[in-house]
Amino acid sequence: MSTALVKITRTETYRTVSDALWQNNPISKQVLGICSSLAVTVQMNTAIVMALALTAVVACSNLIISLMRKMIPRNIRIIVEVAVIATLVIIADEVLKAFMYNISKQLSVFVGLIITNCIVMGRAETFAMSNPPLKSFVDGMANGIGYGSILVGVSFFRELLGSGKILGFPVVPQALYDMGYMDMGLMLLAPGAFIVIGLFVWLEHAILNR
Amino acid sequence: MSDGVKTILFATGLCLVCSLLLTMAATGLKAFQRENALVDRQKNILQAVGAVESGRSYPADAIKALYQSSIQCISIDDEGQVLSAKAAPKKVLPLYLYRADGQVKAYIIPVDSRGLWGRIYGYLALDTDGSTITGFSVYQHSETPGLGGEIENQWFQRNFVGKQIIDAEGNFVSIKIAKGAVEDAVRQDLKPNYVDGISGATMTGKFLSQGLEDILQTYEPVSVHFRNQGMLKLPENALVCQPPS
Amino acid sequence: MENLISIFVDSVFVGNILLAYFLGMCSFLAVSKNLQTSLGLGIAVVFVLTITTPVNWLIYRYLLAPGALAWAGLPDVDLSFLKLILFIAIIAGIVQMVEMVIDRYSQALYNALGVFLPLITVNCAVLGVSLFMVERSYTFAETVVYGVGSGIGWLLAIVSMATIKIKLRYADVPEGLQGFGINMITTGLMAMAFMLFSGITL
Repeated sequence: MSTALVKITRTETYRTVSDALWQNNPISKQVLGICSSLAVTVQMNTAIVMALALTAVVACSNLIISLMRKMIPRNIRIIVEVAVIATLVIIADEVLKAFMYNISKQLSVFVGLIITNCIVMGRAETFAMSNPPLKSFVDGMANGIGYGSILVGVSFFRELLGSGKILGFPVVPQALYDMGYMDMGLMLLAPGAFIVIGLFVWLEHAILNR
Repeated sequence: MSDGVKTILFATGLCLVCSLLLTMAATGLKAFQRENALVDRQKNILQAVGAVESGRSYPADAIKALYQSSIQCISIDDEGQVLSAKAAPKKVLPLYLYRADGQVKAYIIPVDSRGLWGRIYGYLALDTDGSTITGFSVYQHSETPGLGGEIENQWFQRNFVGKQIIDAEGNFVSIKIAKGAVEDAVRQDLKPNYVDGISGATMTGKFLSQGLEDILQTYEPVSVHFRNQGMLKLPENALVCQPPS
Repeated sequence: MENLISIFVDSVFVGNILLAYFLGMCSFLAVSKNLQTSLGLGIAVVFVLTITTPVNWLIYRYLLAPGALAWAGLPDVDLSFLKLILFIAIIAGIVQMVEMVIDRYSQALYNALGVFLPLITVNCAVLGVSLFMVERSYTFAETVVYGVGSGIGWLLAIVSMATIKIKLRYADVPEGLQGFGINMITTGLMAMAFMLFSGITL
């Protein structure tokens, strides 16, 4: 059993995943990447759909760019990366509009803004250009889940504290409201997101430095 | 082959592949997207008259069938006259009629109002007495979820049911959104003209009140007609309205 | 006119592209360390937004929107799905052109703004403003005002942040919160202050 575990932890794939998810996943870095998506963290369901769209785009763009990495002329590689990412983002947007109409109405322009997400571009440039397809795909997937988890984490607190709901279902018992508890409107506004992230970073530091 | 030629060939190839993929995705999915938008509008119109409940999901076919059988969309001019298909359209306004049991029960006005963050689109349904609101629905807005975004929720929209757009003397006063609960915030004699506001979304309420007033003012000739003479006279071949894009 | 003024005030304060929509955070956090550079980058953003937003409006209106190609005899064509890719290409192209023009005609301006221009292509605020102007179906005049207003709003935010950071050096911040954490919370407080302008009526 333990030897099997050691074998798994020694594989390349495992290391790629754990790097992206844990070792190399400081919130401060990820937030730079998801900044454009913070506006959809008011509710959990939009945040989850956004995280999925983001993961799909990073994973696919990594895969495609890695497959082409030996053919791409060096001098136009950035523009090639942008073209691939933009194409994938538009496809994701169109698919959402066709099959998840209600959510896509709420996400509005923010799906399109994945294009300018520094980290999608960053993974393509630094990882996919120099690694084989499968590994790049896994790396993209893990990175997508990495930022997705922060997005969903922020939305969890904003929705819970801001509207007393999780995924749209009320979780704060009526008895509490009767006793005078009130939802925190601040959480639903933009400042709420900034403050939640600031506190997240504090928590992360506290855990890592212990 | 020189590097320059190779680069250009690669770029051209990439552009071709990308454009092909995009066109395929866009045209292939267009039918679904149109259908979604159409069903969403129809559902909202039905929701405004209370024929379907908000917040529940219905199969698309059921919505379409119900819409077909109970809603008629006609065109009127700005004096409240129903246009026939032959009439030269000047300024055309769409108006929806809701029928149940063979009778017109309500008329529905499309709402297009300013909000705090963007435009608010929806429908307002009025009873055939020309003054009582029978429902309100919103299909598109960009207000903050949980604050101004509550306008799309049932509790807010239900407040409109039974409210009046005229005062006790019969003058047009529109419907307004109160700052807070109507019970505390509004004078006794004005209560029929106000609905409960959303806490934390005073601005959304203000803009929406203004938008509703403007749109009701535009359709006032129709409402006056309903108030004084009852149902509009429909010409033989009424001009079918152009659904807003 | 009233409408234009209210769009302007809204885009500078209440609907501030950075503080209300979180766009352009990357460069905001990276550059706001120094007052001089943030001022430079802010002005460059205003400059680029003032040019790209109206250009993108024209492109969208006459090439991409459903029915926009009617002048070319193709009233049924709807190319709006291409707006993302075209907007980003236009922004990159214009930034490059502006850089070359400034370099050629005004060395002083180039020295002040030049280094920031390439950074702006990846600033999501610039793309975001173009997408919002389509989403809200602004007219041409409204688009121009919205573009300028958003730029000024961004400038205001980054310059205020830079000045706050200077004061923060003397503050006793809890250890785990130093650096990124306190920056986020400060931004949050700033966002709150900007929201107070939502009471303004015109």
